Amino acid sequence: MSNKYTSDPTWASIQPIPLNDGSESGIIPLATIAYADEYVEATSYLRAVMAANEISERALKLTDHVIALNPAHYTVWIYRVQNLLALKKDFTEEFEWLNKMSLKHLKNYQIWHHRQVLMSFREKFPTLPPGELDFLMEMFKQDAKNYHVWTYRHWLVRHFRLWDEPREIQDIDFLLSQDVRNNSAWNHRFMLRFGPRSDEPDGGMPNSTAPSPEKGRLAVVDEDLVDAELEYVKGKLIRAPENRSPWAYARGVLRASGRPLSEWKDFAKLFVLEKLEDGKVVDVEVKSSHAVEWLADVYAQEGESTTSEAVRMFTLLKEKYDPIRKNYWDYRMRMISPATQNQEISASA
Amino acid sequence: MASALDYSETMTEVVVFNKERHIKYFLRCLKTFLPDLYTSNDSNRILLAYFTVAGLDLLGELHNRTTLEERQGYIEWIYHCQVPSGGFRGFTGTDFGPERRTPANEVWDPANVPSTFFALLILLTLGDDLSRVKRTECLQWLSRMQRENGSFGEVLGSDEKIEGGGDLRFCCFGAGTRYILRGTGEEDLVGDKDIDVDKLVAFIEACQTYDGGIGEAPFCESHSGHTYCAIGALTFLDRLSKNHKPIELLTPGAGPFESLVRWLVARQTSELGDDEDEGGDERGDSHDADGVENLSVTVGELSLDAKADQLPVIRPATKDSLRWAGFNGRCNKYADTCYSFWNTASLHMMDRLGLVDVTRNRRYLLEKTQHIVGGFGKGVGEPPDLLHSYFGLVSLAFQEEPGLECVDPALCSSYRTVQHLHSLPWWQKKA
Repeated sequence: MSNKYTSDPTWASIQPIPLNDGSESGIIPLATIAYADEYVEATSYLRAVMAANEISERALKLTDHVIALNPAHYTVWIYRVQNLLALKKDFTEEFEWLNKMSLKHLKNYQIWHHRQVLMSFREKFPTLPPGELDFLMEMFKQDAKNYHVWTYRHWLVRHFRLWDEPREIQDIDFLLSQDVRNNSAWNHRFMLRFGPRSDEPDGGMPNSTAPSPEKGRLAVVDEDLVDAELEYVKGKLIRAPENRSPWAYARGVLRASGRPLSEWKDFAKLFVLEKLEDGKVVDVEVKSSHAVEWLADVYAQEGESTTSEAVRMFTLLKEKYDPIRKNYWDYRMRMISPATQNQEISASA
Repeated sequence: MASALDYSETMTEVVVFNKERHIKYFLRCLKTFLPDLYTSNDSNRILLAYFTVAGLDLLGELHNRTTLEERQGYIEWIYHCQVPSGGFRGFTGTDFGPERRTPANEVWDPANVPSTFFALLILLTLGDDLSRVKRTECLQWLSRMQRENGSFGEVLGSDEKIEGGGDLRFCCFGAGTRYILRGTGEEDLVGDKDIDVDKLVAFIEACQTYDGGIGEAPFCESHSGHTYCAIGALTFLDRLSKNHKPIELLTPGAGPFESLVRWLVARQTSELGDDEDEGGDERGDSHDADGVENLSVTVGELSLDAKADQLPVIRPATKDSLRWAGFNGRCNKYADTCYSFWNTASLHMMDRLGLVDVTRNRRYLLEKTQHIVGGFGKGVGEPPDLLHSYFGLVSLAFQEEPGLECVDPALCSSYRTVQHLHSLPWWQKKA
């Protein structure tokens, strides 16, 4: 048996509450865990201080301990915040502790939610505290695609209105230079450039509550910004064209600005080289399967005159460059084929 | 449903679904202690319990391998997790006992939104009729869990404060709990406060991103787990009320629907993360990029055309490189067993499951992540855990693997369990 608390005079006044897993007759507990004694003891004291609504230094320290053993415990964090506030604790110290926890438990919702709860106190943090972004970059060194950290950073941008702070885009450029396939960084970039600002409702894309086709489209378009972003993406794609993220990003940019996919038809053709003999295509050299998909979409949108071109592109994907998605490319061909135009499109392959 | 594939025709298939081992794995989880490692999931014991019970149910063995007394004992434990004010706690660890519970301290032992959904599913799977569930209290509590922006929280804290992240998990399990407990015979609930369905739909729609997928909350990166939660929540809402305006994400032909289909189908990948030399590891392209970048320094300011000229032609995929194809959860990530579930379940709810390559998904699950002791690991060669074991089974069940029950993708439970739910009194539409 662990006696960290039972033997400690600080805790002498507390009667621990043991786990009640329903041992009375008839109940058979499910998902029983072979807990370490340390956890059994610490949580029995946690139940006791919570039942008494105790606000104290020792209770705060106890939450440290339980969180270290089970960071996903959903009420211990709320209880901790209550103690921190009532005891008027210094948040600097709390952040130091939290940073250590964050680096230890990389995949945890509660840790990052707690950080957001603390950072939300305007009186404590009227502006972005120095070092906060440095810490996030330290987290990205461990895992540059950590979902919780990115979610928090998105919140941070909205909370402190950081869309146009040079540091934001600099960090993104740095992370993309480290790994151009980092989709999280591309997503953050999109939010910085095209996400809803100030008091506009939040959304995953511009005008997100509108019905399609308005959904995703900016009300006011900064054409220079759009051009600059498209050039940026081209620069990344020309170095690594078999990378889905920037192609998706470019689709989003064109959509936000109300421009057609065909604006990039020539660019996409750089990666799909058709060898002609007597005016007929005899061979195709492909440098990016995503460029083939792009052209297929362009041809499919252009209507009947280019249907055969679209089918040719979808067939390339289906037979050579992306056979895993064979059924999907068939589905796309059925959608554009005039014979089935007015019929229900069957999804079953 | 299994489609014959050009690539597999010449190969003899010796892929075996090791049913007996899986039964043993789930029985072990049911009847013996889970290892200490699960302590960090202690607060999700209801979820772990659900995987265990539902796993055996899916294997068709829950009633063969447990006694009536045992099943009754499990049911009693779930009711033991019901809080007096309605809803279920996620684990017994917050319970002080009824004699100590007071209005002042009950916030530390709250009902939990996802746990409530899974507790109800366990009861249904075990054949309970939910007669001891505090149904109206639970539905009332649920309506208080919804935020102004339409999203749901995890637990109710002091002064009715909605605590927990604002993400789609809670939206899905809130909508699912409402589905189970509200049913189609709403007469007895007239006058009770319901959740705001329109606001919830609007919140979910705002989570769709520029690439077609759906993120944890508005402005977050698209993620298959959250996409599942979004489509699950919408499916629950849609199944209960057919008269509301059509939800675009569930409407074939609508932009949001088709862009999501494209995104989900694009999640299937032969990049399994098990071979450092494989052509497309997570950072593969950036290595290529370095090489080309050096080159571009020496040749100076080349035009895009000239740079494109220097790019290598890609070699078409080969039989060998494409033998296995699982699913990832985000763009440019490796395959992982649970994403075989999140993605195909979403497509199933959208009636587009036929668009994926089921044969390669089956090979991935059975040859790469199925474990020798039973169960499934997260990735290639990893030890089994309850979550990946259950989701591996469900993904195979969607593909009609022999030996597995049919599964409803939204309730993520066997049709038998769903039929039992639909036989309950509040599911009987009064004539």
